[in-house]
Amino acid sequence: MSEEIQKASEPTAVNITGLEEPKVGVYLCHCGVNIAGVISMDELEAYTKTIPGVVKVTQYKFMCSDTGQNLIKDDIKKGEVNRVIVAACSPRMHEPTFRKCLRSVGMNQFLFEQANIREHNTWVHMRQPEKALEVAKDIVRIAVAKARNLEPLDVMTVKVKPVALVIGAGVAGINVAKDLANQNFQVHLVEKTPTIGGHMAQLDKTFPTMDCSACIITPEMSNIGQHPKINTINYAEVTDISGYVGNFHVTINKKPHYVDQSLCNSCGGCVDVCPVITENEFDEGMKDRKAIYIPFPQAIPNKYTIDMDHCIQCGLCKDVCEPHAINFDDKPKKIELDVGTIVVATGFDPYDPTDYKPYGFGRFENVITGLQMERELSSFGPTTGKPVRPSDNKAPHSIAFIQCVGSRNCQVGMHPYCSRVCCMYAMKQARQYKEKHPESDVTIFYMDIRAFGKGYEEFYEIAAREYGINFIRGRASEIYENPENKNIVIRAEDTLLKRPVELEFEMVVLSVGLEPRKDMQTISRMVGVAQTGDGFLMEAHPKLRPVDTLSDGVFIAGAVQGPKDIPDAVAQAKGAASAAASLMARGEVEIEPYFSKINEAMCSKCLSCIDLCPYGAISFDKYEDVVRINEVLCKGCGTCAAACPCGAISQNHFREKQIFAMLDTAIPVTANGKI
Amino acid sequence: MTDSSKIVRDYDLFLGCVGPNRFPQIEAATMLVFEKLGINLHDMNGASCCPAPGVFRSFDIPTWLALAARNISISEQDQRDVAVICNGCFGTLLEANNIMKTEPGKRDATNKTLAKVNREFKGTAKVRHIIDILYNDIGVPAIADMVTNPLRGIKVGVHYGCHLLKPTGIRPWGKDERPKFFDELVEATGADSVEYKDKYMCCGAGGGVRTAVKDISLDFTREKLQNMKDAGVDCLVDCCPFCHLQFDLGQVEIKQIFNVEFNIPVIYYTQLLGLAWGLNPYDLGLLPTADKPAGTPPYVPTQPFMNKVLANMSESPVTEVETA
Repeated sequence: MSEEIQKASEPTAVNITGLEEPKVGVYLCHCGVNIAGVISMDELEAYTKTIPGVVKVTQYKFMCSDTGQNLIKDDIKKGEVNRVIVAACSPRMHEPTFRKCLRSVGMNQFLFEQANIREHNTWVHMRQPEKALEVAKDIVRIAVAKARNLEPLDVMTVKVKPVALVIGAGVAGINVAKDLANQNFQVHLVEKTPTIGGHMAQLDKTFPTMDCSACIITPEMSNIGQHPKINTINYAEVTDISGYVGNFHVTINKKPHYVDQSLCNSCGGCVDVCPVITENEFDEGMKDRKAIYIPFPQAIPNKYTIDMDHCIQCGLCKDVCEPHAINFDDKPKKIELDVGTIVVATGFDPYDPTDYKPYGFGRFENVITGLQMERELSSFGPTTGKPVRPSDNKAPHSIAFIQCVGSRNCQVGMHPYCSRVCCMYAMKQARQYKEKHPESDVTIFYMDIRAFGKGYEEFYEIAAREYGINFIRGRASEIYENPENKNIVIRAEDTLLKRPVELEFEMVVLSVGLEPRKDMQTISRMVGVAQTGDGFLMEAHPKLRPVDTLSDGVFIAGAVQGPKDIPDAVAQAKGAASAAASLMARGEVEIEPYFSKINEAMCSKCLSCIDLCPYGAISFDKYEDVVRINEVLCKGCGTCAAACPCGAISQNHFREKQIFAMLDTAIPVTANGKI
Repeated sequence: MTDSSKIVRDYDLFLGCVGPNRFPQIEAATMLVFEKLGINLHDMNGASCCPAPGVFRSFDIPTWLALAARNISISEQDQRDVAVICNGCFGTLLEANNIMKTEPGKRDATNKTLAKVNREFKGTAKVRHIIDILYNDIGVPAIADMVTNPLRGIKVGVHYGCHLLKPTGIRPWGKDERPKFFDELVEATGADSVEYKDKYMCCGAGGGVRTAVKDISLDFTREKLQNMKDAGVDCLVDCCPFCHLQFDLGQVEIKQIFNVEFNIPVIYYTQLLGLAWGLNPYDLGLLPTADKPAGTPPYVPTQPFMNKVLANMSESPVTEVETA
């Protein structure tokens, strides 16, 4: 006997082919009190023992811990079980953990099934423990039905191209590109606008160190432009992504500049003669630009672009351009790339307060947004760093900042979340204005000051104590314009003094929050990454996999995942670069074998599955007269298997006999055959 | 143009309390205007107080919900939607209807109470303010088309009222906190809706404030009337009998308390619309009959407003006058 145990504990001794009579071991996890605090584990154990096919039931406080996993390993090694069920949390959390546990003792990892009795049961039914126990019994019984029919599957590996695509060249995208390129991977950096730099290039100074944003970002931009491993594709948009992890095929639409970028020497002669004046997006509409333009003086690449929406094609620029770079016949170009990994860093949009009528943005001249104030404060902005109010171009003697505009507000069209940067940028702008005009009166209307980062609280302290900025705790209820002097009157409740206030200011800055980009839905669909409830892209796990997504090979960095400040965006960028690099450095990746298979003998070649497949994984070979499924392109959605009129398609790990076994046990049939 | 086939032709008219008890002319004018539109407003048998959203709901939500659901159940039985003429009734019935339709727990509990009086809330009726019906179903262009006596040169101070607009989530005008729909309806009559300070402010009466602290509630009213006077209005137009009471009778009370006189005639929207459509101003309650007893509305004489309407009409004669 002891010899046998000795022998069975050798990992190589385990050889389960899946053809043996199933011996199901069920491991009930307490998950601390998450599960055991709601239902009686002893009763669940007693019930589980009565399920046909179950040979072993064990309960433990934390099955995912080393000790918990060893319980499973020992039983496998002893030959007691050849199918494993862990009844615990969602498989999204720990399925990989337990599969690895099976693999480590030489058992096929697909002979494992996880029964989710936490998210699907004790968390939602915590106030009805008795009914929750019944649900737990059902979930475990159904899992056993599936486990008895599990088959071993082989994991496939595919090669990963050592080339990365980075979408968006703001501070996050730039850092991803830089880190990957410095590890010698080829990087294609795609930017929608004519210049890289993103929103950070619009900022004047950065909190809390008050160092100049341009001094930080412009050298980075310049390095990116010159890096031999980085191919910057500016003024371009990704229009399609096909393929799979390691082997994505990307289609990019490069918009026409109407100025030959290789010939333009940035002399600016064209700008002087261009007669068309339009709004400058880079200055948030605070300043004009010509139809032929460079977004800002330090733009990279520093070449001109014609805005065809406004250009009248008068040809004056063409006449003066010495290198003959102007080309009105320029056409969009299609660029196709093959890449191994994709990092999405498309950033955010500032909240547009026009729709929030009580704050009068767009109706009252002297109400501006935080980003407009930032441009006013910038030395290369519309007022060369000397803020003025729009109605009379004079420096205001009093400014109020209204916080949480578009954030922390549950009204329709607003966002319940905190945008995380507005408290700090408002205090920064307030301090900057106070430095220029110490005699001025600067007030911040806030709900809470959220100064959470390194050095932020100290920054707040100094703003209040040394700069004499007034802080009034209360959300402004509404504002109106004094028609005589265009001053803005704010009504609010000072909640600390418990009294209503009505104060007049010469200018009001709305500290607008960050929201998902308007085209987020398109991006989300294209890269196959879902959006969270707030509209930002969803990470694979909020704590453990913050830069990964559930779409293999696609990573996210920066404000595309949620509002964040520059240090956090850069940190996430470096994380995303590292995650993408680890895939590419390994050179190959394992693919779950959940693809569909086709039984040629049963296939009637109706070809209906080909049109239904959302991944283009099914094709018809005319010469051999067979329908084929590409195992790597197939994502295992099961659409074809469900639709096949001949029942010729089956999907690995979700075979018909597995699903029907689950259904049969889920819905008990009475003696007279009725459900 | 509105598709006339989609217009519902029959409604239950929920009168509420202040309307029938204090301002019968509001009901009269509304009946006349809807008759002209070919929409029948039916009496509701056994309807009670809505009950008032500020007073009842603030004290006991289940009671408030049960009474409101009972009222709606009458219309369900009649197989008609409810039309209301009062912002307070609108607030209560709209929100109660929404709660009853979307929260099964509260619906079941309320239905247990209703079962005691042999009633049940089924969730088949809609609650519509007459302003909602006029704006969203009939439409401003159709209303303007029916105008025979355009009220040119008349400056109107529009008062929306709180319960017409808030909470914005389930109102039929969307999320806009500075809407223009009522102004559009007023301007359809040919009058001008003038901008004035704090247009969206409360009349002062709601939430039980008028009953509890009358002078404070009248101070609100005084401020609003002052803002309208500064903008030079000829009259105030509202769509709620309680706001109407606060502005009309309120001006008498303000004179007593604050010794300020405004003399701004207070007119309900259907009265204004009826006038523009050529209906008889006596029938609309816009002019007092010879036998009008003292102490009955309107408390602020409407004669100056009517004189201006007539004067403007004779100055700029209308070509297609239809005799009422």
